[in-house]
Amino acid sequence: MPHHPSEPAASGPPTLDDALVGEAVLGVYRQMFAALARDSGAVVDDPELVDVAETLLAAFADAGEEGLSREQMRYVCRRYPAEVFENRLRVLRGLGAVREVFPKPNQLRYRASFTSVVGLMFVRRMMLDGGQSEMHRLLALEQLNVADPRMTPEQARDGAAGLARAFRLWSVELLTLTNGTIEELREQAPKLWGTEEILRRAERLHGAILRRWPQLDRACTDLRTAIYAYGDASRRAAARLSDSAGTTRNLTLLPPETWRTFARTASRDDLAAVLEGFVFDAAAPWHEPSAVVQAVEDGPRATPPRPAPPRPSVPDPGLSDDTGGDATASERLRAVAEQALRGRDRVAVEDVLTEGWVTARRLLADLSSAHLHPELPYRLVWSDGLAVRPEGSPTWISPGVFEKTDAERSNA
Amino acid sequence: MTESSVDAGVLARARARVLGAASQPVSEPTPAGLNTASDGERLWLLPVWPDGATPALLDEYDTAPMPMDRSGQARRVLAAALRCCWTRLDDAPWPGEAVPVPAVLEVYAGMSRGDAELARRWATGELRRLSDTGWLLLDESTGVVRPGPRVALWHDDTLGPLRDLLRRLPEPPQGVIAGE
Repeated sequence: MPHHPSEPAASGPPTLDDALVGEAVLGVYRQMFAALARDSGAVVDDPELVDVAETLLAAFADAGEEGLSREQMRYVCRRYPAEVFENRLRVLRGLGAVREVFPKPNQLRYRASFTSVVGLMFVRRMMLDGGQSEMHRLLALEQLNVADPRMTPEQARDGAAGLARAFRLWSVELLTLTNGTIEELREQAPKLWGTEEILRRAERLHGAILRRWPQLDRACTDLRTAIYAYGDASRRAAARLSDSAGTTRNLTLLPPETWRTFARTASRDDLAAVLEGFVFDAAAPWHEPSAVVQAVEDGPRATPPRPAPPRPSVPDPGLSDDTGGDATASERLRAVAEQALRGRDRVAVEDVLTEGWVTARRLLADLSSAHLHPELPYRLVWSDGLAVRPEGSPTWISPGVFEKTDAERSNA
Repeated sequence: MTESSVDAGVLARARARVLGAASQPVSEPTPAGLNTASDGERLWLLPVWPDGATPALLDEYDTAPMPMDRSGQARRVLAAALRCCWTRLDDAPWPGEAVPVPAVLEVYAGMSRGDAELARRWATGELRRLSDTGWLLLDESTGVVRPGPRVALWHDDTLGPLRDLLRRLPEPPQGVIAGE
C-alpha cells in the first residue's frame, strides 16, 4: 500500500500540516466525483474513508477467487473504528464496488470490482500529479491516435473538440486567477509551471491533425484559438506573479513552509551558492592595547576591597574646636619668631641655629614660614657668601638676618 | 571562472581574507595589499586598513565593532598571556617567546578573584578563542602559547599603557616556566 500522508498518525499527533494535506486530497476527490455525486453528502468528507476502501481492495486482490468473508474484511480494517468500517462497507456495496460472490441470500463471501480499483488508481494518480500531467498524457495519447491508421476523421474531430474545451476552461480559470487576489494566484502557481511544454505538444498535435485531415480545419481553428488563449492567459498570470514578487522583493512566492523545509534540508553547498563569488573578510575581534588595559583594570581584583571601618557606637560629637585654622598656626609662628628675636629687632640666622641640625632645621622651617606668612611682620634676608664650618652643626651657612618688618617696628 | 584563469596573487589574497590570519612559508611570494608578520619560518598574512588606522577607529565614529562575548575576560587572558610571553617589554610584543600554558593560567588565576580552578578553565577556553582569531598561537600538543601575528599590528606608540600594566601584573611562577 503506498504511503499516504493522511494515514492515522503512527508518528505522533496530527498537525496542522496533516490537516492541510488532507484538505487538498479532499479537494481532488470532490472535483473528481462532483459529476457523479447526487448531492454534496455523497462525497467522502474524510480522506481516511478512501484509505479504508484502498485497504479493502488490496486485501481482496491478495485473497484471490475465494473472496473475503465479512469477518476477514473487518480483520483487515482493524485499524479503523467499527462504525467507519460499517459505513464504508455499506457505501461500497451500494455502489457496487464490493458485491457478493454469488447473488443469493445469506451470502457470506464477497468479491471486489475491478473498475473500482482502476478508478482508485486514477484518483491516486491525479492526486500525485494534478490535472496538468493528465493533460500531458492526454496530448501524448491523442498524438498516438492521430498516427493510428484506423483513426477516423470523426474521432479526430471529437478529440480536437475535447482538447479545445479543456484548454478553454483552463484559460478561463487562469484569467480568473489573474484578476483575483495575488495570494490566490500564488497558491495556484503550480498550474503555471511547464506551460511551454504543453503548448508545444498541443501545437504539434494540432499540426498533425490538420496535415492528415485538411477538411477538419474548422475544428482545428477552434483548437488553435483555445491553445493561444491558454498561452496568453498563462503568460499574463505568470507576469502578474513575477511583477508582485519583483516589486515587493518578498519571499512569499512560495509558502513559508517550503522555504523552511528548504532551509532545513538543503545541503551546505546549496545554501552557500547564494553568496558564491563574494569574498568576506574573516570576522575577527580587535583588541586595542588600551582596551586590554581597561579590561584588566575593570576586572575583579585579586585582593578584595577593604571593608569600611566600624562606626563608633557613641553619637558623633560634631566638629572639634581645633580646626587647625590659620589663626592657630600664625599664633604659633609668632611665638617662635618672638622667642628667636628675644625682644631684638633683628637677629643673625647663624646665631639662632646653634643647636644640632635636627632641631635647627625645624626652627629654620618655622622662620621661613613666618617670613612667607603674609600677615606676620617678620622676614628673612639672605646675603651673598657661603661660610664653611667643618666643625659646626650646619657644616655650611649663608649669612642671613631674621628681622621684624618696619610696620611692626613702628607700631611697637 | 576556473582557477587557472585567476592570478595566483589574487587567489592567495582572497584566501587570506577568507581564512583570517592565514600563514604560509616565508619562501612563498607575498600577495600585494596585505600586512605581513613573520617569525622567520612562516609568514602570516594580515588585513591592512587605510591610512594606517586600526579597528579601534570605529570607536571614534560610534560604530559598533565586531560583537564579542565576554570581551573583558578575553582581554584579561590576553594580558596574562602577554605577561608571560612578552618578557622584554622594551621590544615589540611580536614574535615574543613561547611559554607553557600553565604559566599563563597561573598568572590569570592570580589576577582574578574567586575559584582558581574555575578561572583556569575559563582561561583555557579564552586561549583557544584567542588562538582561533590569531591573537595568540596556541600549540595544544606541546602545551605552549606565544603571541599571535595580530599583535604585530599594534602601533608602537599605543603600547605605553600596556607596558606599564604588564609591569604591574603578578609574575609567572618560575617553577611552571621551568616546566616542572
